[in-house]
Amino acid sequence: MAPYLPIVIMLGLGMLFAAGSFIGSGLLAPKKPTNAKSAPYECGIVPQREPVARFPVRFYLIAMIFIIFDIEIIFLYPFAVVFHQLGSFGLSEMVVFAVVVFVSFVYLISNGALDWGPVKRYGIQEPYPQRTTTSTIRRVASGEEAA
Amino acid sequence: MGQDPLFLGHISLGVVLIVVVKVLVAFVALLVSVLLMIWFERKIISDMQNRIGPNRAGPYGILQTLADGIKLFFKEDLIPEKSDRFAFKLAPYLTVIPAFLIFTIVPIGGTVHIFGHVAQLQVADPPIGILFLLAMSSVAVYGTMLAGWSSGSKYPLLGSVRASAQMVSYEAAMGLSVAAVVLITGSLGTRDIVNSQMGSFFGIFPKWNIIRLGIVPFVIFVIAITAELNRPPFDLTEAEQELVGGFHTEYSSIRFALFFLAEFMNTISMSAVIVTLFLGGPDGPNLGGPAWIWPILWFLIKTGAFLFFYVWVRAALPRLRYDQLMDLGWKILIPISLAWLLLVGAMQVSKVYGFVLFVVFLIGGSVLYRAVSIGRDNDSDVETITTFTRIKFNDETSIEGSNEGDN
Repeated sequence: MAPYLPIVIMLGLGMLFAAGSFIGSGLLAPKKPTNAKSAPYECGIVPQREPVARFPVRFYLIAMIFIIFDIEIIFLYPFAVVFHQLGSFGLSEMVVFAVVVFVSFVYLISNGALDWGPVKRYGIQEPYPQRTTTSTIRRVASGEEAA
Repeated sequence: MGQDPLFLGHISLGVVLIVVVKVLVAFVALLVSVLLMIWFERKIISDMQNRIGPNRAGPYGILQTLADGIKLFFKEDLIPEKSDRFAFKLAPYLTVIPAFLIFTIVPIGGTVHIFGHVAQLQVADPPIGILFLLAMSSVAVYGTMLAGWSSGSKYPLLGSVRASAQMVSYEAAMGLSVAAVVLITGSLGTRDIVNSQMGSFFGIFPKWNIIRLGIVPFVIFVIAITAELNRPPFDLTEAEQELVGGFHTEYSSIRFALFFLAEFMNTISMSAVIVTLFLGGPDGPNLGGPAWIWPILWFLIKTGAFLFFYVWVRAALPRLRYDQLMDLGWKILIPISLAWLLLVGAMQVSKVYGFVLFVVFLIGGSVLYRAVSIGRDNDSDVETITTFTRIKFNDETSIEGSNEGDN
């Protein structure tokens, strides 16, 4: 445990520092909360809706793909440490492992799982008029049939 | 291996005292360097933008950060009504403590003799140093994520969702590029990594990892670290124009100050980590004078150069778009760093393997390129995108629906 003693001391110091500054601020700072102050910040507008509880599914995809890669990295580290003892055996094993992960990665990418580009509107076609100054202004202002 | 020589004998009071002194010095040095770094960044940026910058508090405005910090102590500490109070209070701790801890594994000099003890100029040298580094940078993601999620407000939530996806993506690239360093060193301890970079090729080129590994892992690591730190041009988490202040919008007073402190402390620690892993740490020629002072000076010069580099990048580059950011992380950095790692390994075993693998990687790269272009206009994507669009049209609060994509 000896090499970890300084880390533990540093952990203690860090916590002490954070807690101490909270206490210090608590003693020094004023405490006059009002409704307006403790409302969610929206640039001065009174918020009309609750914050959304749903995320685009892409973020979950990222998290899941990350787990795959993280596991690969976890296996890579012990391999990297004892690499010189393992020699070509270890290398070939790791190449096979990397290829397996790579195949699934290629599959994901070819399915567009990691594609974040601007939305391509296949499903709902908005009637976009030719973009001239007049047509754009008319579209924004009234939403009438554009010229 | 990786054992601090301090602890090889029996643990005496003097030894423990040295450890405590080392920790205290590192702690104070970190805080002071953060104060200086914030001042340095503001001053450099203002020079680059043709402004004067802070110039009131102290000579050349050097005490400006201190003044700001003291001011923040006296500000009201607000906890929003709709927040999850426990997580809201926990998040600053989770952000600031890893920031302190990362610096402990960085070797800042050689060895010195104090009162008959041999002490390394490094706070701690655990045998799992690199894993500790990765663990701490993962814990820091929790701080960011919880801060945004617990605020109970729109913009922080958006900022934190973006931040966690971004940090997680670049963590993979970062882990893979560090694995190359571990592979060539054969150890996870930072002191071993630094020691293995001593010496030179042909007496001219230093034997630093940036040269030994080829420049690729270094470049990938620097990019990944920049994204991991949420520094420009990867600061989408706090894109002011879209998200107010990002994940710490709802934080005020000292809680906000701690986030700010952690951000700059991480910048300093990570610059030091780059120097340790790829630029030989305290390695450098001795130009006369006491022997122990040059390693420290070289370390400070190299770290300072990287700090300047970060400020320069912030002043020079515009922010990336979110899809560009994700594409860079997943489709470029991760495959290249994985391939390069295996290539370095193959070259260590035999040159023939290296060339065979190189050809394999070229084929793999073209397969990947094809996959990317298929993925871009894949028909099976229509369904997802349609749903996406519908959400966007029906519910204007839906987040990240598109990048205002009518171009």
